[in-house]
Amino acid sequence: MSFNINEFIDTKTLLYVALFSPLVSSLFAGIYGASPKKINVGVISSLLIFLSFLASVGLFLHLYFGGSVVNVMMMDWISAGDLKVPFGFVADHVSVTMMLVVTLVSTVVHFYSIGYMEKDKGFNRFFSYLSAFVFSMMFLVMSDNFLGLFIGWEGVGLCSWLLIGFWYEKESATWAANEAFIMNRIADLGMLIGIFMIYWTMGTLQYDEVFAKISSVPVDVVTMIAIFLFIGAMGKSAQFPLHTWLADAMEGPTPVSALIHAATMVTAGVYLVIRANEIFSLVPEVGFFIASLGAFVALFAATMALVNRDIKRVIAYSTLSQLGYMFVAGGLGAYWIALFHLVTHAFFKALLFLGAGNVMHAMEDELNIMKMGGLRKVMLGTAILMLIASVALSGIYPFAGFFSKDKILEVAFDTQHYILWGTLWLTAGLTAFYSFRVVMLVFFGSSRYKDFGIHPHEAHGFMLWAMTPLAVLAIVAGLFEHQFVEFVTKILPAYSFSEQIHETIGQLVIVTTSIAVTGIVIAVFSNMFREGLFSNAFRGNFFYKLLDNQYYIPKIYDEVFSKPYRELSELFWKSIDLKIVDATVDGIGKCLLSTGENTREMQSGNLSLMLRWMTIGLTILLLSAIGYTYADSILTLLQQGVAH
Amino acid sequence: MDHILSILIFFPAIAGLLGFLIDRQSIKPYVIAVASMEFILSLYLWFLFDSNQIGMQFVEQGNLISAFGVQYLIGLDGISLFLVVLSTFMTLIGVISVADDTDDLRELLLTLLFLEMTMVGVFVALDAILFYLFWELSLVPMLYIIGAWGGEKRIYASIKFFLYTFSGSLIMLVGMLYMAYLYYQASGTWSFSLLEWYRLQLPLDYQLWLFSAFFIGLAVKVPMFPFHTWLPYAHGQAPTVGSVILAAILLKMGAYGFIRFSLPLYPDATVYFLTPIAILSIIMIIYTAMVAYAQKDIKQLVAYSSISHMGVVILGTFALNPEGITGSIFLMISHGIVSGALFLLVGVIYDRRHTKMMDQFGGLASVMPRYALIFGIMAMASVGLPLTIGFVGEFLSLAGFYKYSHIMTILATSAVVVGAIYMLSAYKKAFFGKITNPENSKLQDLNVREYFSLVPLAILVVVLGVYPKPILEPIDNSVKTVISLMHQKAVTEEAKKIIPNIKMNLGEEEK
Amino acid sequence: MGSMIISLEHYLLLSSILFFIGLYGVIVRKNLLMLFFATEIMLNAVNVGLVAISNYYGDLTGQMFAFFIIAIAASEVAIGLGLLVIWFKRHNTVDLDSLQSMKG
Repeated sequence: MSFNINEFIDTKTLLYVALFSPLVSSLFAGIYGASPKKINVGVISSLLIFLSFLASVGLFLHLYFGGSVVNVMMMDWISAGDLKVPFGFVADHVSVTMMLVVTLVSTVVHFYSIGYMEKDKGFNRFFSYLSAFVFSMMFLVMSDNFLGLFIGWEGVGLCSWLLIGFWYEKESATWAANEAFIMNRIADLGMLIGIFMIYWTMGTLQYDEVFAKISSVPVDVVTMIAIFLFIGAMGKSAQFPLHTWLADAMEGPTPVSALIHAATMVTAGVYLVIRANEIFSLVPEVGFFIASLGAFVALFAATMALVNRDIKRVIAYSTLSQLGYMFVAGGLGAYWIALFHLVTHAFFKALLFLGAGNVMHAMEDELNIMKMGGLRKVMLGTAILMLIASVALSGIYPFAGFFSKDKILEVAFDTQHYILWGTLWLTAGLTAFYSFRVVMLVFFGSSRYKDFGIHPHEAHGFMLWAMTPLAVLAIVAGLFEHQFVEFVTKILPAYSFSEQIHETIGQLVIVTTSIAVTGIVIAVFSNMFREGLFSNAFRGNFFYKLLDNQYYIPKIYDEVFSKPYRELSELFWKSIDLKIVDATVDGIGKCLLSTGENTREMQSGNLSLMLRWMTIGLTILLLSAIGYTYADSILTLLQQGVAH
Repeated sequence: MDHILSILIFFPAIAGLLGFLIDRQSIKPYVIAVASMEFILSLYLWFLFDSNQIGMQFVEQGNLISAFGVQYLIGLDGISLFLVVLSTFMTLIGVISVADDTDDLRELLLTLLFLEMTMVGVFVALDAILFYLFWELSLVPMLYIIGAWGGEKRIYASIKFFLYTFSGSLIMLVGMLYMAYLYYQASGTWSFSLLEWYRLQLPLDYQLWLFSAFFIGLAVKVPMFPFHTWLPYAHGQAPTVGSVILAAILLKMGAYGFIRFSLPLYPDATVYFLTPIAILSIIMIIYTAMVAYAQKDIKQLVAYSSISHMGVVILGTFALNPEGITGSIFLMISHGIVSGALFLLVGVIYDRRHTKMMDQFGGLASVMPRYALIFGIMAMASVGLPLTIGFVGEFLSLAGFYKYSHIMTILATSAVVVGAIYMLSAYKKAFFGKITNPENSKLQDLNVREYFSLVPLAILVVVLGVYPKPILEPIDNSVKTVISLMHQKAVTEEAKKIIPNIKMNLGEEEK
Repeated sequence: MGSMIISLEHYLLLSSILFFIGLYGVIVRKNLLMLFFATEIMLNAVNVGLVAISNYYGDLTGQMFAFFIIAIAASEVAIGLGLLVIWFKRHNTVDLDSLQSMKG
């Protein structure tokens, strides 16, 4: 079948539409930012995002049917010295994949938000921020140079700040917003250094030129570049030790969590590794480090998810854990697999969050899953959607998660990193367990919410319909694996499995699936018969406390970084700046002043005093005249005295 | 327009003198008209400016004291052009922002016009004595503004401001006189003309002394750590318009002096002192940002943040490559706009509540959403978010310095973190949360006068952040001239190595 | 009693002692009249020195100077005492501190 989108519309126009209609949407909603809720603002804004989605689809079709990569040079941005950075955009196979995911999830979330935010007084403002986020994210994935990527990178950071702190009257929300921004900034420092290095070693920041030159750069420099870029990725993708902001970011409205903190922004780090694969594949040591950190985070986050009682935080930790999976794949050089997991994860995780949003609404903003239970009776639609998402997350065939997650495990096994494989395998079991723990505690068992006088209700029908595309994709996306591989490996390196893996692949699948199923079974049975696995006795346990307090890391950060920083700042100001630096300056002034005060009597006009000073002055002059005249002989005398 | 620069310098002063004839009611429209004309004139200057031409343009020359070669020599290149435009623009904004019910309104506005003369004069003077004249003259109106319209401790603050910067400048004056003497020895004639001085190649030990003398005068003005302590007092006590001009333009004189005098005159000394100065800049960046974080008074916070940003400016200047110096000049302009706007914003809330303490506020976002929006834009520009004006200069400055030292740049780049910490926590304290203080619940959002002064700045912040090219390009060309001059003049191997050799046809300038 | 030759050193020593006595008086005394006396002593100390050295070198210039000094001292005292008498009539005191009119 041949198809040429160019017959209908210019691809450059498509690219501009895809990029700028979210900006238009944001500005449009922004005009009404401070005015009372207008439903049309939400609708028009959502339609504009949908338009962006359609344009992305157009670009996808163009590439899928063999079209060439679309490059656009919009205008110059910064040029100074030899540095020339344009606003340049590229729609190649990787960025189009990202664009599709971003715009699809955004469209769903936008429509969903019309229902979710209906009672909020900041309705219009919300859509403005949300669309601004989409614009930044599109900028990030479509830019054809590192600095353009950085624009999007910071842009999503800004929007994330705005949206986490959307309910700015809540102390915890604004605190979390600032935490997220500042922690991301720490990582951005690394990213900026990486960009400086790229510029001074290769003299350009354009992807294609950098990648063309990178192979001639000394390995140690490439290593440093890769490390610094990855530090940037660690912040956005909330990898340990910069992970604490993600769980706190759940203070934002739930659609935000779905879009930003699950499907898109947090995967920017993974995108960077995939985009810069030419750099990372040159330094496998860094790749291995990335993979190891990824595996560690996968397990680390999953353990925290096990015990948490906040529905959104559990999902947030699960996101963290899944990002770890992606980094394992990226680090081990299986870039298309990382991208594949990124895509499938975006679908089912966004779905999960939106479902959680429905639950939250139903429960009047109650987040504690211990207070829920039996909700399937009142909200069957949401229950089914969340169940689909959870199954997909657990990696059960034939759901999307199965295909992508299994591939990552195979890669780990194939490259003989058995420890990584073991970690991920264990994590797969934990993932299945905590996902179903949430499902069971929320939708099954006795209706505990009745004790708290809550009257849950199902969300609007259109909100459920808005979620449906995600649900469908969460089920079927995995089946398009073959087409996906073919599409993205046009520019990404194809990962080829070794010979022997083909023989063991069947066994691997069985081993992985069995632990996932075991996890599910434990979760289901323990909840059905005992109302939760963790009895009260268990809660006193050291490990439970450790997990429940997130390994005490937030507390440690507070003690080790935040408080000393604050105290040091106070010290700098009150002790050093005021008492030393400024006091020295004032001291010089006071010294001069007191000299004047003390010597003013000399000029009092008192004759006898003046005579005395005159005598003193005369004596000094006389003595110095003598000293000066006989300086040589005095010195000789002194030297003789020393010699004796 | 043969004398456009002279007109630009003296028009506000003459208009200011005439202003004493105007009665109090119509003084504000009059001064706004004068400042607008001056601003339009500076825009016209920009229009006339040929960015492809190397060297100084619109040069005017006349003898003042011919026996000692003191001349009335003025001219302009890409570096000074935008500082002139910034001066006229910020003066206009400052004049607009002055409230009609200020005491002694006429005196304040006319003082601003005199101040404008000295600012433009500093940036176009090409004769050292003329430069020094305007440099010191600029202290007088500022002293008057702080001392007469300031807060409680205004006398202390203004005297400190004056004496501190004045004693620094005196040492610079000694350096200038010695430089002229050296020139006399080398050529047999007296001259204070910078263009003549540029041709003088000095041995390293002379350079070191002269550089140090200039450094003290300039560093106090910037202000560099540890000479910065006059600034928080001056800002803390100055009226809003005083702070705006002080932060937006007067501080830029110091950094401008480095680029105009120290770098091209003493390239070897510059390289010799590169590391200590870079360390001072890094201390400035991190230390003052932390001090800013500890502040309770929001105006003091902005004042300290200015010092922190000037640290990046100095670092960029001493990168000694086109990326860094162009970036630092751009950062001066962007910092002028952003810090000016931040001081205006602080003034807005001070006018309403007569306090600047952050703990008095909280929840302002719900009563003053438009104010919160503009403050947010400025805060983000100050933090250096891409696509705002703040990013371009900061990025270029740091990127430029990276070539010289990796470790120091990593330390200096922490500006992006420490800057975010104090700015965001201040924003959170003032704007987020619930309204706890009943006095804040009925605050008016921005009025027309405030819109007129703030909205142009907000627009500039975004427009120049997205499209900095019209400004970057002329600056870049002039900076390249300066750097190639430095490379040519350098006598030590070290300096030749660090200062890049940019091929430019300098011969044309002398023809 | 052994004959003791009075040498130049002795004259100079006497001159110095007289000079310092005069100087001490100038520093310590507050009475204007006493100040005059002290000044006279210092002048005469110098005279002794000049005459002694003049004698030592056999050069009369020093002695001539001494006469000059005596003459000038006499006229100075005449004018000075005149002023002093007027001052005393006006202020009823010749204390030095009473001359002070600046605040310093």
